[in-house]
Amino acid sequence: MIFTVFKKELRDTLRDRRTIMMMIVIPTLVFPLIMSVFMSVSESFQKEAAEKKVKIGLVSNQVGSLEADLLKVPETLGKREFIPFTDTLSLVRAIRADSIQVGIYVPNNAEQLKEAMKPISVTVFHDGTDLGMKERADAYLTYIQENWKKERYAELKIDEAKITPFILAHSNVASSKEMIGKLAGGFLPYLFIAFGFMGCMFPAIDLFTGEKERSTIETLLTTPVPRWKILFGKMGVVVLSGLLAATFNLLGIYLSIEVFNMVKDPVVLQAIKDILSPTFIIMLYALLCPLIIFFAGIMIPIAVRAKSFKEAQSIISPLNLLIILPAMVGFFPGVELNEVTALIPVVNIVLATKELIAGTLEWHLVAMAFGVMVLLAVIAILLSYRKFENENNVIS
Amino acid sequence: MIQISHLSKSFTLNRQQKKELGTTQNSVLAVDDISFECLPGRVHALLGPNGAGKTTTLRMLSTIFKPTKGTILIDNVDAVKDPQEARKHIGFLTGSAGLYARLTPNELISYFGELYGVPKNDIEMRKKKLYDLLDMHDFQNKRIGKLSTGMKQKVSICRTMIHDPQVVIFDEPTSGLDVITAENIIQLIRDCKNQGKTVIFSSHIMGEVDLLCDDITIIHKGKVLYNDTMEAFRAQQQAPNLTAEFIRIVNDQKTELA
Repeated sequence: MIFTVFKKELRDTLRDRRTIMMMIVIPTLVFPLIMSVFMSVSESFQKEAAEKKVKIGLVSNQVGSLEADLLKVPETLGKREFIPFTDTLSLVRAIRADSIQVGIYVPNNAEQLKEAMKPISVTVFHDGTDLGMKERADAYLTYIQENWKKERYAELKIDEAKITPFILAHSNVASSKEMIGKLAGGFLPYLFIAFGFMGCMFPAIDLFTGEKERSTIETLLTTPVPRWKILFGKMGVVVLSGLLAATFNLLGIYLSIEVFNMVKDPVVLQAIKDILSPTFIIMLYALLCPLIIFFAGIMIPIAVRAKSFKEAQSIISPLNLLIILPAMVGFFPGVELNEVTALIPVVNIVLATKELIAGTLEWHLVAMAFGVMVLLAVIAILLSYRKFENENNVIS
Repeated sequence: MIQISHLSKSFTLNRQQKKELGTTQNSVLAVDDISFECLPGRVHALLGPNGAGKTTTLRMLSTIFKPTKGTILIDNVDAVKDPQEARKHIGFLTGSAGLYARLTPNELISYFGELYGVPKNDIEMRKKKLYDLLDMHDFQNKRIGKLSTGMKQKVSICRTMIHDPQVVIFDEPTSGLDVITAENIIQLIRDCKNQGKTVIFSSHIMGEVDLLCDDITIIHKGKVLYNDTMEAFRAQQQAPNLTAEFIRIVNDQKTELA
């Protein structure tokens, strides 16, 4: 009988346009859309940055070597145009007015200091909110500084290697998969959780409050089917809707990579392909199942008690925030699954999924997180059962 | 057969309900120690003004509500102790009940047939018989949401009768229906009676009661005011017509209480 109820409710739910939007259309499209917006924005920024001619104000009373070298900096470091200024005050005003993007102040005695092989204090004026401009000026000056150093070593007949105590090199032992998992891995569980929740919401309201509002529940309760079986049949559809929303989200990621070729970087592409392995998908569902049952189990008692669709929606919708905020914890790179975070609902599943993406799972912590969610799912089911058994809640 | 003995139902009030009803009491007694019997092959009318406790009584009979006190026997099955078994014998049709708008009549009837545990072959057989009887073949595969009120009512009748119940409960089944659609219900009640089923029927329309019923129970403020055959009711009648007689009985009780 549970399956009979389940089958009917699923058919009914799949014919509801609102549910189809929340369960299939939006979850499938959201990742390709985010990716396409992100890519077009980042491509246009890169293009603009490469093509943009940065106007650099130069305060200098003489035309010395530094000024001459600045004009000779290769264009591979970025296009630029130098504009002379007489004082720093007008230079600052011009930066604030955005008529120039950055300014360089060279002291009057620069040439003498250079000849005496003493350091010149060069000041770069910039607007901190105009990203990348300070770095552009730094790059030009560093280029010149490196060239001058080489000239001085030669002039002083110093072997550069002899005054270099060590050469520092960095070797990243984390694989690309780990890097993506730890730094950006929080984004995926966030999407799965958010859509899992939203996927449950409309069916939960429709199958419980909706039945009350449309007065169809009365006839259902006169059939010789125990109420718990009716509840389980309906709950099964709510849970399935949540899981389907997460699945279509996953499908959206797959489409972005395999069909729309949105990820161009071969290293990142390979890392994402490694992440989306069958083991990952099975593990992901194992973690999502109790979480989605928990979601269904907190929505159903509200939906059972509510007198109208509007009332149920007005209570359940703010719950979305309560779920999304802990789900955002995964965005912070330093937060990891440990004995404490494994006990916090939602946070534990986000962090466990993050570890799963990075391939750095600690099984006892995952088991703890899974156990906590299973326990909460059972409590939520019992609460739903209690509310659904109460005739005052079910009949309006 | 339906046997009701010393049946009572009280509802606990929450704070908001107390405020709405303007009472400080924690509960309200909707049905107060009522007893009567409905016999097979007879139509039993349950009458009463709004808020008398008719719907609560019928909801207890159909096992949606659990009585606070008393017993209900449906075809000798204790509906309080074994509601699931009792439900197999009951068909329940209300004027206010909705249908699943996104399903077709065919899907809905099959669903309820399955819920009542009717074997699949029997469901198909009974569906055909009911469709013939109610002239439903033309719209059996259209979505219910797109059907007219009359068509929907036919679907409701079909849903009520798919498991061939021995006891049929009608709660204001013709309320809000046009004359032609209401006639389908009247015919169904007659058919049930002719087939030897036990029918209990609540209505505000005295003409329907006069036309269909063999027995009558009048309840007011949860108590039984009158319970006898229609013949006896007509015999003791003091007012010029049934409606006036019904009002007289209810008013007499109000005067007694005052």
